Amino acid sequence: MKAILALLGFLLLASEARADAKISEFKVDVDGNRALASLVLRDAFDHRLSERIDSGLLTSILYHFELHRDRKRWWDRRLRKATLEVTALHDAVSREYTVHYKLDGKLVESRTVRDRRSLEEAMTRIEQLPVFSLDGLPRSWRVLVKAQAELGSRTILSLIPVAITTDWKESRKFRIPPPS
Amino acid sequence: MDLIDRLLRHRKNHRLILGGLALLLCVFTALFYLVQRSRELPAALVTNRVLLFVLWYVNVVLILVVTFVLLRNLFKLLLERRHRVLGSTFKFKLVATYVGLSLIPVLVLFILATGLLQGSIERWFNTPAAPVLERGNAVAQALYDQIERTNVADASRVLRELRAFDLREAQERPRLARRLQDLLAEMELDLLAVYEGTDFVHAVVNPQSGLADLPEPGRTFLTQAMDEGRAFTAYEPSSVPGRLMIAAVAGTLGEVGGEEPPVVVVAGTLLDPVLAEQRERLVQEFQAYRQLVVQKDDLRASHLLLFLMMTLVILLASSWVGLYLARQVTVPIQALAEGTRLISGGDLSHRVEVEADDELGVLVDSFNRMTQELQTNKELLERGNRDLVASNQRLAEERARIAAVLENVAAGVISLDARGRIFTCNNAALHMLRQREDEVIGKTPEEAWGDPERARLAALLREDDGRISREVHMLLGGDWKTFEAKVTALRDLSGVVQGRVLVLEDLTELIKAQQLAAWNEAARRIAHEIKNPLTPIRLSAERLLRKHQQRDPGLGQAIENGVDVIVREVLNLQEMVDEFSRYARMPRPRPTQIDLPRLVHETVNLYRNLKPGVAVDSEVDGGLPPVRLDGEQIRRALINLLDNAVEATEAPGRVTVSAQPVNGHLEIQVADTGRGIPPEWREKLFLPYFSTKGRGTGLGLAIVHRIVTDHHGSIRVEDNVPKGTVFTVELPLE
Repeated sequence: MKAILALLGFLLLASEARADAKISEFKVDVDGNRALASLVLRDAFDHRLSERIDSGLLTSILYHFELHRDRKRWWDRRLRKATLEVTALHDAVSREYTVHYKLDGKLVESRTVRDRRSLEEAMTRIEQLPVFSLDGLPRSWRVLVKAQAELGSRTILSLIPVAITTDWKESRKFRIPPPS
Repeated sequence: MDLIDRLLRHRKNHRLILGGLALLLCVFTALFYLVQRSRELPAALVTNRVLLFVLWYVNVVLILVVTFVLLRNLFKLLLERRHRVLGSTFKFKLVATYVGLSLIPVLVLFILATGLLQGSIERWFNTPAAPVLERGNAVAQALYDQIERTNVADASRVLRELRAFDLREAQERPRLARRLQDLLAEMELDLLAVYEGTDFVHAVVNPQSGLADLPEPGRTFLTQAMDEGRAFTAYEPSSVPGRLMIAAVAGTLGEVGGEEPPVVVVAGTLLDPVLAEQRERLVQEFQAYRQLVVQKDDLRASHLLLFLMMTLVILLASSWVGLYLARQVTVPIQALAEGTRLISGGDLSHRVEVEADDELGVLVDSFNRMTQELQTNKELLERGNRDLVASNQRLAEERARIAAVLENVAAGVISLDARGRIFTCNNAALHMLRQREDEVIGKTPEEAWGDPERARLAALLREDDGRISREVHMLLGGDWKTFEAKVTALRDLSGVVQGRVLVLEDLTELIKAQQLAAWNEAARRIAHEIKNPLTPIRLSAERLLRKHQQRDPGLGQAIENGVDVIVREVLNLQEMVDEFSRYARMPRPRPTQIDLPRLVHETVNLYRNLKPGVAVDSEVDGGLPPVRLDGEQIRRALINLLDNAVEATEAPGRVTVSAQPVNGHLEIQVADTGRGIPPEWREKLFLPYFSTKGRGTGLGLAIVHRIVTDHHGSIRVEDNVPKGTVFTVELPLE
C-alpha cells in the first residue's frame, strides 16, 4: 500500500524537474512607478536546448516574475505576476536566429542574430525589463520580486512529461517610492 | 403488468449496456483515428507540450479511476470474506477470474505494443538516410560559407581599392565606376555597391545576371555591417529567380578615428535558382529530420501516452464489464444464499428481489415460487396443527368423558391395542374378573388370563372374527359366573385391525332372575297341568258319589267309566311328574372321547323317512377331530332339536344336521325349512314348559339348553335363509 501511495504521489507531483540553469545577477530597479527587472540565466544552453533551436523548432524560455509583499503569511503575499516569453526560431536557409520577446503575451521586441553567442546572449540576458507597474500599491509596503525560468519540458521514463524550471530567485526587498 | 414491468426493466438495462458499448466504440475509434493520423500530423502538434500534459493527466486520472475501481471492489470483497458473508468466496473467485482474464491480456498487449513502438521509433532514427541528410546539409552550408567568404574577401579587396579614391570628389566618380566595373568582372560578382554609412555612393551590376533593379540590402543590414565590421545575408530578388547572397564589409578610408562615416562595400553573388532551390530543400529536409530527432522523446512519450490511455480505457472497460458480469452472477446467487439462510431461519415471507433475465432469473423466480408455496403450506400446516390441537383437546375431553362413562357403566370394557396388549380395563371388568389393574394392563390376554377359567376370554379374543358375541361361563372365586362376551375388532379405513374391544356383561344375576321367573312359570304351568287332570278326577269322583247316593243302577258302569278317567288322568300326572323328575335330576355331563360323526349319523338315521316329503340329512366334516363330550346328553339334545325341526317342517321340506370345527369350537347346526320362529318367541324359547305346539311338556329346548350350558357351550337360534330355522350349538373342542 505504501508503494502504491508513493507511486501515486510521484505521478501527481513529478510535473517539474530542476534545471541545471540558474538565475544570477537578478536585480530590480524602480523607475518611477515601474519595476525594471534585470537578470542573467546561466548554463541554460545545454545540448538539448541547442539542438532544439538549431533544428528550427520554435523554442521558448519563459521567465516568470512575481511581485510579492514582504510579510510572513504566505497565502496573501503575491501581488502581481508577469511572464516574459523569449522565443527563438532558427532559419537554417538564411542561417539567422529570430528572437521575439513577449510580455504577458504581447510582443515587445524582436531581434535577428546570426551566431550562437548572440542568440544565447539575447535569450538569457534580460536588461531593465519593465515587468510590473507599481501603481495602486501602498507606499508603505516593502515588496520584492521573484523570478523563475522555465526551459521547456522533457520526459521521465519516456512517458511522464515534466517542465524544466530553475529555482525561484528573489530580488532585494524595496519600498515603493512616493509618487514624484 | 408484472411481465411488462420486467420487460421495461430489462430493456432499460440493455439500453445502458448498448450505450456503454457505443461510447466505448466511439472512444476506441477516436483513439485509433488519432494514432493513425499521428504519422500525418505535424510533429510539433503531436509533440505539443500542452497535448503531452493533457494526455498525461488523462492517463493519471484513468490510472486513479482504474485503481479506485479495482481497490474498492477488492476491499469490499475482502471485507465480505472477513465477515463471512454468504457467497463471498464464490464472488471473490468469480471477480478475480473475470478481472484477471481482462487484466492479464491487456497488460501483456500493452507491454508488447510499447516495446514494439520503442523499437520502431529507434529504427526510424537509425536509418541510413540520416548521414546522407547530414552530409548534404554540410555541403549546402559549405556552399554558403564559401560564397560568403568569397564575397567578404571580394568586398574587403574593393574596400582596400577604394582608398585610392576620394569619394567626396565628383570628378572621381567616373574613374570609380570604371574601377568597380573592372573589379566586378575580375571577381565574377553580380553586384558591387559602395555606401558611405547608410548613404548610397555607387553600384555596378553584372548585366548577365538579369537583375533589373539595383538590389537594396536595407538599412539594418548596413548598420549591422558598420557595427560588426561585416554582415552577410541572402534573399530572393524580385526581378530575377535565384538567391542573391550579399556580404558587406565596413571600414574607413581615411585615418582611424576620423569623423567620416565608415564606407560599406557590398558584394553580391546571384546563386543559380536550381542550385538555390536544391540547397534550400536539402537544408529544410535536414532541419525537419533534426526536429524529429529532437522531438523523439516527446514523440515516443505522446505515442506511449496514447497507448497507455487506450490500455487504461480498455482496462477500465474490461474491469467494469468483468465486475458487472460477476455482479450479474453473484448478486442473484448471494441473494439466493441469503434468502436460503433467512428461510431456513423461518422467515418464509422473504422474497429474493433481484433483476435477472437469464437462467438465474428463472432460478430466482422458482425460488420465490417455492418460498411462496412453503409459506402457504406452512400456514396450512399451522392451521391444521391448530385444528389438530383443538381436535386432540376435544378428543381428550371426549376420552375423559368416555373413560368416566366406562368407569361408571356396569358392563366390563376391555380394549386391546394393535399389538394385542390390554390397553384399558375399566373397574367393572376388573370387578367381574376379580383382578387388579396391574395384573392386566399392558399384558397380552394370555398373560393376564392364564388360568383355565379366564383363558376362555383369551381364546375368544384369538378368534379372527370381526364381531363375536358369546356367553361365557367361568368359575371365579368359587362362584359360577355367566358373562355375555362381545368382541369387536377396531379397523381403520383400510380394514386393518387396529385393536379389539371386549365388552363383558355379567348375566349371572339376570340368569338367576330368569331361572326364578322360569321356575315361577314352571310352577304355574305345573299347577295348571296338575289342575287339568284333577278336574276330571274330581268330577268323576263326585259323579260316582252322586250315583252311589242315588243308588243309581248305572253305578257299576259309572264306576268303570269314572275309574278309567281317573286312572288315565293319574297316568298323565305320573308321566308329567316323571318328566319333571328327569329334568330336575339331569346329571352333570361326564365327557368321554366320542365319535361325533357316528353319533350324528345314528341320530339322524332315526328320523329318516319318518315324515313323508321331509328329507333328513347329515353333513358332518370327515376330518372332525375326536371330541370329549357326554355322548348320551348330546344325543338327547340332538333328538330334541330334530323332533322340533321335523315337526315344524311341512312336505316338501328338508332338515339338515351339520357339524364342523369353527375357530376352535365345535359348531353343530340343525337347520330346517319349516315355518320358522317369530322373533318375539325366541327369548322364551329355552325356558322350561314354553311350548308353541299347545301340547307336550315344553321341556325339550330347556333340556337342550341345559345340556349345552353344562358342556360350557352356547346355543342360539336364527332364521334359515330363505326359509326355516337354524339352531346353532357351539361347544368347546377341549
